[in-house]
Amino acid sequence: MADPDFSQFKLVPKGHSFEEFHQGQVFEHHWGRTINAGDNSIFTTATLAHCPLYFNAEYARAHGHPDVVVNPMLVACTVVGISVEDLSEAGGPFLGINGLEFHRPVYPGDTLTARSTVISTRESASRGNFGIVTWRTEARNQRDELVISYERTNLVAKRRGAPQ
Amino acid sequence: MSASISKLTGAGNYFEDFEVGAKLRHARGTTIGEVENQMLTKLVLNTADSHYNEHRMRSTQFGQRLVFGLVTGSVCIGLATQDTGENALAELGLTGIRFTSPVFHGDTLYAYSEVLEKRDADRADAGIVRFKHWGTKHDGTIVFEGERTVLIKRRSHWGNR
Repeated sequence: MADPDFSQFKLVPKGHSFEEFHQGQVFEHHWGRTINAGDNSIFTTATLAHCPLYFNAEYARAHGHPDVVVNPMLVACTVVGISVEDLSEAGGPFLGINGLEFHRPVYPGDTLTARSTVISTRESASRGNFGIVTWRTEARNQRDELVISYERTNLVAKRRGAPQ
Repeated sequence: MSASISKLTGAGNYFEDFEVGAKLRHARGTTIGEVENQMLTKLVLNTADSHYNEHRMRSTQFGQRLVFGLVTGSVCIGLATQDTGENALAELGLTGIRFTSPVFHGDTLYAYSEVLEKRDADRADAGIVRFKHWGTKHDGTIVFEGERTVLIKRRSHWGNR
C-alpha cells in the first residue's frame, strides 16, 4: 500500500513498571538542565512567587548573591522533571515528597544533574495493579555540589497483564 | 544599589512579625491554564504527557489533562510567598508535600498558611519560621498541603537598610 500502515509501527516504550524497581537500584537521570534567567523569570512570575531575590538582581546582590537567585521551587520542579521518565512516567499518582532540603542557592547558568536511589518497594494494599515505590533523589550543580535532596513516593503501575 | 533595599519589600513580614499559631488567608487567587500547567511542565522537562496530551487523557477516568502536582504546589506556595517569604533570605526545605485532589485547567487556586514554629538561626540577622500551607480550589476542595521552612530577615538588622 502507498500510505504507511501505522498500526504496524512498533511503539517505543517509555518509563518503568513496578516490577523493574528494586531496593538500592540507582538511576542517573537523563539530560541535565542549565537553568537560565528566562526560565527563572517565567517560572517565578507565573507562580506569583513575589520575593525580589528571584527577579531583582540588584536586590539579590545587596544580599551577597552574584545574580538573581533561581527560585527554589523551579529547582525542585526541574529535578523532579528530569527524573520522571525513569521513575514515574509509566503511570501512577504522586503520593508525596518528604524531607526536601535546599542545600545551596542556584544561579542562572548553573547546570543541574540528578540521580535517584530506590529506598523501598511494596505492594499497594488497596490497588492490586499498582505498587508503591519510594526514591531518594539528589541533584548537583556543575561543581558537583549538592543543591537539593528529597524523598518521593508514587504509586507505580504494574506491567500490563501482570498477576494482581 | 541606589534605593534602600528595605523600601522594596513589605514592612509587616519580618521574622519578628510571625506568631506561632497565626493563620493567614492569602489575598490573591489564580486560575490555572496553559501557562501554568502546560508551559511550566514542559519548561522543567517533565515528560509525563498526562499533563499535556488532552487527546489521550480524554479516554482516562479524568477525561482531560491533569495539572502537574508540583505546578499546583509551586503556585500555592507562590500565592503565599509575599506574606511568608517576601523578606526571606533563603528557602530551607519542604516536607509532607501531598496533592489530595486532582487539579484541572480552569480551576482557580487559593492559599492558606499557619505559622507552626519559630526559632533562632545560626546567624543573628535572621530567624527560621516553619509554615503549614494549604491550597484549595474555587469550590473549597483541598488540593495541596505541605510544610515549608524559611530563613527570614529580622527587622532589627534589616528594617532600615
